[in-house]
Amino acid sequence: MSDRLTKQEVLHVARLARINVTEEEIEKYQVQLKQLLDDVDKIKEVKLTNEDRLIAPVEEKTVCREDEQGEMLDPEEIMKNVPSSNGNFVEVPVMINE
Amino acid sequence: MAEYKKTIGIEIHTELKTKTKIYSNSVNGYGKTANSNVNVVDLGYPGTLPTLNMEVIRLALKAALILNCEINRDMHFDRKNYFYPDLPKGYQITQAETPIGVNGYVEIEVNGEKKKIRIHDIHIEEDTCKSIHYKHHSFLDFNRAGVPLVEIVTEADMHSSEEAMAYVEKLRELFLYADISDCKIEEGSMRCDVNISVSKTSELGTRAEIKNIGSISNIGRAIEKEAARQIALIENGKEVEFATYRYDEKQDETVIMRVKEAGNDYRYFPEPDIPFVEIDDELIAEVKKTIPMLAGERRERYVAAGISLLNANKIIQNRNLSNYLNKFLDSGINLVIASNLLLGDISAYLNKMGTELENTKLTDEKFIDLVQKLDKGDINSKVFKDILDDVMEKDTTIDEIIASKGIKIINDPSALKTIISNVLESNSASVTDYKNGNTRAIKFLMGQIMKETKGSANPELVNKLLEEELNK
Amino acid sequence: MSKYLDLSIVEINKLLKEKKIKPLDLVLEAFDRIEERKDLNAFITLDKERAIMKAKELEDKEVDNLFFGIPIAVKDNIVTKDLRTTCASHILDNFIPIYDATVVEKINDCHMIIVGKTNMDEFAMGSTSQTSYFGAPHNPWDVQKVAGGSSGGSAACISARLVPLALGSDTGGSIRQPSSYCGIVGMKPTYGRVSRYGLVAFGSSLDQIGPMTRNVYENALLLNVLVGRDDRDLTSSHKEKEDFTRLIGEDIKGMRIAVPNFFVKEDIVSSEVLNKLHEVIELLEKNGATVEYVDIDYIENAVTLYQIIAMGEASSNLARFDGVRYGYSVEDPKGIDELYALTRGNGFGDEVKRRIMVGSYLLSGENAKIYYNKALQIREAIRESFLKVFEKYDLIIGPNATTTAYNLGEGLDDPLKTFLDDILVIPVNMAGLPGMNVPMGFGEGHLPIGLQIIGNRFDEALMYKLASFVEKELDLELNPLEVR
Repeated sequence: MSDRLTKQEVLHVARLARINVTEEEIEKYQVQLKQLLDDVDKIKEVKLTNEDRLIAPVEEKTVCREDEQGEMLDPEEIMKNVPSSNGNFVEVPVMINE
Repeated sequence: MAEYKKTIGIEIHTELKTKTKIYSNSVNGYGKTANSNVNVVDLGYPGTLPTLNMEVIRLALKAALILNCEINRDMHFDRKNYFYPDLPKGYQITQAETPIGVNGYVEIEVNGEKKKIRIHDIHIEEDTCKSIHYKHHSFLDFNRAGVPLVEIVTEADMHSSEEAMAYVEKLRELFLYADISDCKIEEGSMRCDVNISVSKTSELGTRAEIKNIGSISNIGRAIEKEAARQIALIENGKEVEFATYRYDEKQDETVIMRVKEAGNDYRYFPEPDIPFVEIDDELIAEVKKTIPMLAGERRERYVAAGISLLNANKIIQNRNLSNYLNKFLDSGINLVIASNLLLGDISAYLNKMGTELENTKLTDEKFIDLVQKLDKGDINSKVFKDILDDVMEKDTTIDEIIASKGIKIINDPSALKTIISNVLESNSASVTDYKNGNTRAIKFLMGQIMKETKGSANPELVNKLLEEELNK
Repeated sequence: MSKYLDLSIVEINKLLKEKKIKPLDLVLEAFDRIEERKDLNAFITLDKERAIMKAKELEDKEVDNLFFGIPIAVKDNIVTKDLRTTCASHILDNFIPIYDATVVEKINDCHMIIVGKTNMDEFAMGSTSQTSYFGAPHNPWDVQKVAGGSSGGSAACISARLVPLALGSDTGGSIRQPSSYCGIVGMKPTYGRVSRYGLVAFGSSLDQIGPMTRNVYENALLLNVLVGRDDRDLTSSHKEKEDFTRLIGEDIKGMRIAVPNFFVKEDIVSSEVLNKLHEVIELLEKNGATVEYVDIDYIENAVTLYQIIAMGEASSNLARFDGVRYGYSVEDPKGIDELYALTRGNGFGDEVKRRIMVGSYLLSGENAKIYYNKALQIREAIRESFLKVFEKYDLIIGPNATTTAYNLGEGLDDPLKTFLDDILVIPVNMAGLPGMNVPMGFGEGHLPIGLQIIGNRFDEALMYKLASFVEKELDLELNPLEVR
């Protein structure tokens, strides 16, 4: 087993995470990500007697909200934090048609 | 040569009719000013958490019950992770593992044959924000972000465009009647994705997905076009690509949007921010009570009451009219007359005024009175037309309206007889015609009598008396 | 310089009530202290002007509760309306929230005065606060040492007595471990005790806000204020409010205490830490408590589970930082993909990027089943093991950290070290249990060593009882200035 990921593997996880990585970073992550992934691999060996899962340590069931309107924001307040806006709209580079 | 068989599965997203969004308490309504029905939760602000709208659970449960689904009594939500600017949190909260309903069916009828379309599942999720594209930019309006949706996924049980259209029409009718959604396909509150493949053998072909088809008739056309395209490819020895298409209405063809990557990597995992939701017997019973008589049963009842299938369908297409008519199902009035009134002059009035029945002064008592008067011949359709505006706009009773209009219903045979003999005297030529076997002359004479009485005579009675007189 | 902030909350309250001092005196003193200890780098953002304004406004108000007018520091991953909240990240270094976290509303309702936002590991990912975009905070006991993490700034400012109260957050020990390194009292309450609304999510099923204070009593008092059902957080508990101070001072005789064998393994825990623990165990036994060693099944897997669950959840939770609606956004991106990749590539630091990438990978395709689902199953098994212990014992104790605080700069490029630092504190988050730190002595270089107390769900009051007993019996001098 190699002690590093391939460059392709690093680029794949970087793409999944939408994080740009420089050549220098790729080098580093090839080693560091491999270390982390090898470590979590230990989990495969763990034997269990039960298949129940714990999603979150909450014992109470969800208590739903009734369908009543609450406060909303003023578009102007929203736009103060928006990096690129146009009138009442949030602006981004054109989206590929999906 | 063996025929190609189409295999079709359909996914439908429907917006639920709630006051507020699914995971936040901002208003569910996106026709307004951009980004005005939005709060920090809808925008995916750091630190915000989802809440869960009870009405969404009720409506989705109602839908699942109508679709004959098994209910997941202990359900949770899941995160579907992907990056797209219309998705504020970078994930959509949906249901993957425990959809609210599974293993249901919808019964459709095509060319007189009944068929069950199996429902794989119905699950609850949130809508994305709306984007407008212009040149090099897209503009985002988060008013739609977080609007509650249910997605209904069928098994690949349909084999013709007729079946597909019948299924969508049926689902639309069901949801409309149960008040789950307003189901406006053209406006996007109901969106249909169609999966279709063709094959000559029992082995399924590669499927194409046609996204977001804008009307039921276009669903039919898109399926036919896409099937023809696929068959042509296969016949030419080419392969069908696993891809997503849209239907271009103007060109009447399916246009490729993108080739699918082998298995989208949505990195699903259970949503930790929403604990398990329990659906107990009590809730199911409560929701069942809110399911009204659905379209299928309405149609049966109408036809049994003597209404033509054509008119029955016309009424069912308009839920308000149908709900109104249903109030009188067991009242004993003549439902044929009642349905004719609703579809005819009353609908015309409502259209003209741009209003709804509940906003008029037409009370149940007045409606019953009208139908009975017409039934008995106390008034005729001419009189009905004359008094309609007042009926709809005044608080007074039908009798009062008739009186105020100075309309006298001539129901007295002796008075009518006098008028009839006068008319016969002055139209002796027609009388002769009639006696010579020209039965059509009686119609002319009827018209003259009605003219004389200014339409206030009971036509049945006039007809009877006239015949008696002529055959003397 | 006045020294009011060295007094207890109760004493300060008395002076305020008797009008001998004003809230403004406290606020000005706090800012003097903060200014004097700028070298600690405990704060990312200070809010001096508004704090002074609020203090002045309080002058006309009745002193209606113990916390009236008391300065408090808030970890910078808890959002504060109109006050910059960065999560110690470049990607949020211009971010001004437009709403208050629920806990912030609660402290405002008590008229506490927020002096500023404390330094931390970027998005709370780390165990030393060195991943902060704003540089690491320093340990007041030795400025060459780390303050711990991720709530390092909150721990440092309490330890150095800059303010008497602070809020931290704990996903895998981030309150308890820095509290241990800095010699203060820190409580991670039961998952669901305190609303997470307004806490920038790291590991949603693990995160919990908690109080960090100079002593046990004040910690319990502050927790009294923070708890309660919040309809904006569906995971917050409906448990009734209670007075967490109610058992403080009671006899510990008859208490049944468990020590997990895993917590005293010599290859994991340093000898000076173990020695202190044994001294405490002796003290407890001498006073009528029974202490027994127990095995907790699957506890040795907790770190691995943490890596999978926390990184998986984080990869999803941090997807919202995309340069579209708020925060840093790269200039003139060529397209959507570039907007995302460069904003996130430039905006996040190394540790955060590493964790997001690994988390994304662990959830992708078949991995979700192999790793994530399996982790959730083991997580349930750990929870059940803990519950079994609590059938026989009242509380569990052990160390919080394997060593005392280490040198700044150590372990920065070792992606595993930060997880191993937290090996003793992570199991508690897995099971959603309450855990706390109370100082139990000093090691080499007079660096603090902390005792971890773990309770059953919602048993915080019982934990405070034991903690206050230890605190009283050991009677340690915990103000680093007094020791020098």
